[in-house]
Amino acid sequence: MSTVLATRGVSKYFSGIMALDRVTLEVNAGERVGLIGPNGAGKTTLFNCILGVLPVEVGEVELNGEDITSLPVHHRARKGIGRTFQQIELFADSTVRDHLVIAYRANRPRWAVVHDLLTLGRPRPEEMEASDDVLELLGLQGLADEPVERLSLGQGRLLEVARTLMTNPDVVLLDEPSSGLDRRETAALAETLVEIQAERGFAVLLVEHDIELVSSFTTRSYLLDFGHLLTSGPTEEVMASPEMRAAYLGTAVVA
Amino acid sequence: MILAVSVVTDFFQAVLQGVPPGTVYALVAIGFVLTYKTSGVFNFAFGAQAFASMVLFHKAADEWGWGTVPAAILSVLIFAPLLGFLLEWAVFRHLRTAPPLSTLVVSLGLTVAIPSLVTILLDFSPKSGSSPHGVVPDGRTVRYDPFGVYPFSRDELVATIVAIVAVLGLAALFRFTPVGLMMKAVVESPRMTELNGISADRVSAGAWALSSFFAGLAGVLIAPRFTTFSANEYFNIMVIAIAAAAVGKLVSLPWAFGGGLGLGVVIALVSTFLPRWTDEFAWLKPVQENVLPSIPFVVLFGVIVFVPGLRKAIGSSDPLAGVDPPRQNVASVITSAGWMFLALKAVLLLGAVAVVYTQADRTWTLLVTQAVAMGIIFLSITIITGLAGQISLCQGAFAAIGAFAVYQLGEVRGMSVLVAVVIGGAIAAAVAAALSLTLRQLTGIWVAIATLAFAFFFDAVLVKQSWIGGDSLARSRIPRPVIGTIDFQDDSNFLLLAVIVLAVCALGVYLFSRGTTGRKLRALGGSEIAARSVGISPSRARVAAFALSGFLAAVGGGMLVIGQGSVNYGTSFVPFLALFWLIVVVTFGVRQPSGAIVAAAFFILFESVFLKGEIFGWILRGEDNIPSFFPLAPDWRYILFGLGTIQYARHPEGVLAMSAAKRRARSERRAADKVVVDSAAELGTPA
Ligand SMILES: Nc1ncnc2c1ncn2[C@@H]1O[C@H](COP(=O)(O)OP(=O)(O)OP(=O)(O)O)[C@@H](O)[C@H]1O
Ligand SMILES: [Mg+2]
Repeated sequence: MSTVLATRGVSKYFSGIMALDRVTLEVNAGERVGLIGPNGAGKTTLFNCILGVLPVEVGEVELNGEDITSLPVHHRARKGIGRTFQQIELFADSTVRDHLVIAYRANRPRWAVVHDLLTLGRPRPEEMEASDDVLELLGLQGLADEPVERLSLGQGRLLEVARTLMTNPDVVLLDEPSSGLDRRETAALAETLVEIQAERGFAVLLVEHDIELVSSFTTRSYLLDFGHLLTSGPTEEVMASPEMRAAYLGTAVVA
Repeated sequence: MILAVSVVTDFFQAVLQGVPPGTVYALVAIGFVLTYKTSGVFNFAFGAQAFASMVLFHKAADEWGWGTVPAAILSVLIFAPLLGFLLEWAVFRHLRTAPPLSTLVVSLGLTVAIPSLVTILLDFSPKSGSSPHGVVPDGRTVRYDPFGVYPFSRDELVATIVAIVAVLGLAALFRFTPVGLMMKAVVESPRMTELNGISADRVSAGAWALSSFFAGLAGVLIAPRFTTFSANEYFNIMVIAIAAAAVGKLVSLPWAFGGGLGLGVVIALVSTFLPRWTDEFAWLKPVQENVLPSIPFVVLFGVIVFVPGLRKAIGSSDPLAGVDPPRQNVASVITSAGWMFLALKAVLLLGAVAVVYTQADRTWTLLVTQAVAMGIIFLSITIITGLAGQISLCQGAFAAIGAFAVYQLGEVRGMSVLVAVVIGGAIAAAVAAALSLTLRQLTGIWVAIATLAFAFFFDAVLVKQSWIGGDSLARSRIPRPVIGTIDFQDDSNFLLLAVIVLAVCALGVYLFSRGTTGRKLRALGGSEIAARSVGISPSRARVAAFALSGFLAAVGGGMLVIGQGSVNYGTSFVPFLALFWLIVVVTFGVRQPSGAIVAAAFFILFESVFLKGEIFGWILRGEDNIPSFFPLAPDWRYILFGLGTIQYARHPEGVLAMSAAKRRARSERRAADKVVVDSAAELGTPA
């Protein structure tokens, strides 16, 4: 199976404090991988390093075998990394459709001016089609013309997923998609995630505190604590491991 | 050998000469950093505060006959801190959670309002020919020469010593007094302090009073260096101080002090040695003539562009930056206005033009033409600030590029002026794009400062070059265009032409903002990180916005000078005025093209219609019926619009959208009431 995303010995410091310590992990094509660890473990930081929001001090990030460590965020995104945010990040003053259209268009930058003149700024037919597909996939049909300020948190999280799907990513980084959702919403989200992943076939790296969601969705997991990768393997094994207990109970780290 | 000795002597002389102004720059820089760090407000009005104290000092000393010491006590020790306290209490305290750009706009508003307000309130009108003086008698003429190289004037000595004492005093205050310790703690980490139970309100008010005291002190001390009582001089001083503070990334007091002193010395060194070099290197001559005034702007620009990590300096130095309350969300205002509404606006506008076209006399036609041209310039602010979310303070320079292009190509080279307008637009677009490429890593406040530096550089250096500014006589012979048989020498015809150009530009802005780049810019404004992670390149979108904005400003500038028949750089395009443009546009709504157009109408017509009271002449039928307290001083427009920005900060969507939103809210409320009544009726209970 081919590796889509890999980090090789990635380290990150914040004014001398080590947030990531030589983290090496791999995600294969179409695979669903978990990244678990207690608060402050460095999970979001790793996402930011993978996408280039934060520069890494040491190590490389590879996408489809290509070293992308020095590329800016938007290039990495166009090459096939999608992500959602722990604290939801939507475009204020825009409708659901606007979110999808711009995500689609940013990845197909040709002839923008000509198209704009032809359509007077309205979405093009293929954009309407692609966004309708994604909305239907996520069960958001009917909300296309809603301003995002009217969405519930759960719908907002789905919209983040929808937005990233419009860029046709090879791998999607999901940062705590269930945070802020109640049990019912989380269950619905899990179902939706399974469905769209099966349909589109992208790989997923999932950060999640909801053990149930991680166990049901991922096949393999990495355990991160204080920036160290403690263990990895099939998700049930990681969940049952002594390292896991140590990390979450806050006893001394077993290296 | 002799040469070497004289070089060394000159060197020391220059260094000593640079110390007195340097210490005063340092004072301003320190005061500036104090407010920036304690309240997060990038206080452009700092120079205006210094000016206010200086004016009060001269009023008391010269006109009230107070003598310099009581006058200094009143203006520096009492008035200045009070002013700072007042600003914090009445304005900036309420803007804690406002987006940084709106506090910036408010401080710009105060920058234009305070000098006019103080001048009017104090009825300050210095006798022509009189110039500011210092706190000691014969300050300019009596000199002392302690080192045998440079004779300090009394004023300079006083300024240096007082400034050094003030800085030492500040250090002692921070070190030894509880208030100072608290303030220092806030300066180092405002949020930490708040968590420790210290009231940030009180500390911040204290810091504002203290920094305002520094402003007042600097204002009075530096006055004798100037020959006129001009608020502009103080604005310039503040730009120098910003450069000094930028050396320390705006947050370090010692660096601000060193930066101020260093700038004073560098300026003196350059002015000593550059003339000497130009004897050998003739090509340095034209540079020499303009280099001195431009040093601060070059330094400022250089610091912003070349000091790495400047952008990150602020957010990441505070480990608790993430726990800020969420920024207030700018109300959703670009409503899908609908074609009906747009058509209505267009009809209104055309109606107004038709009335002017058929009814107005020449003066009014020209005035309205100016407003139309101004509307084109203001559309450039709609693009760069309203859509791209960047504060550009060099739109005046872009407009001036258009104006000078018309002059150089149309008047000097004899090209058609309309072609010249387009070429000028292209040049300005290129300049703007290049400028924004240099700044592409930066956003927010740094773009504002860098564009300000560019505006001043343009003003101090480029305008004076003969291939740009030319000579002032010839600048007043700009011809009008002729197309086929239509001669635009006729003012009404030219008005129509200007309206057509404005309409085309407004349509362009509308399409741009709905098009791909507009969508990208809106996404970036909504969430920069999310926009980047779907593949949007922030710098490309912003470069495009800057280029379009430069183009529009230049086209407007070109149309303006063709309409007037001359390039009046000093009254139309200087940096200070351009700052005022931003304020006016922001007041009327920076997010829709209509805001820019209404703003332009107000900007141009305000003086004639309101300040001169002509509107009463119309209403009461007859010039003689204009009430006698008109005309009001033109300064009132600075005061009104400047203070208007405070209202903006609370309603960032602008006056036009605000009233629209109120209407909407009212009708929604009515609808809601109706629902309540209906459901009450359904339940069978009396409403
Ligand atoms: N920009 C930053 N500057 C300084 N320190 C940071 C920054 N971002 C994160 N950190 C620190 O790095 C560590 C890892 O943070 P990170 O947000 O990656 O954790 P996380 O695993 O995502 O935690 P959570 O489950 O709470 O989201 C924390 O100690 C955090 O305080
Ligand atoms: Mg996290």
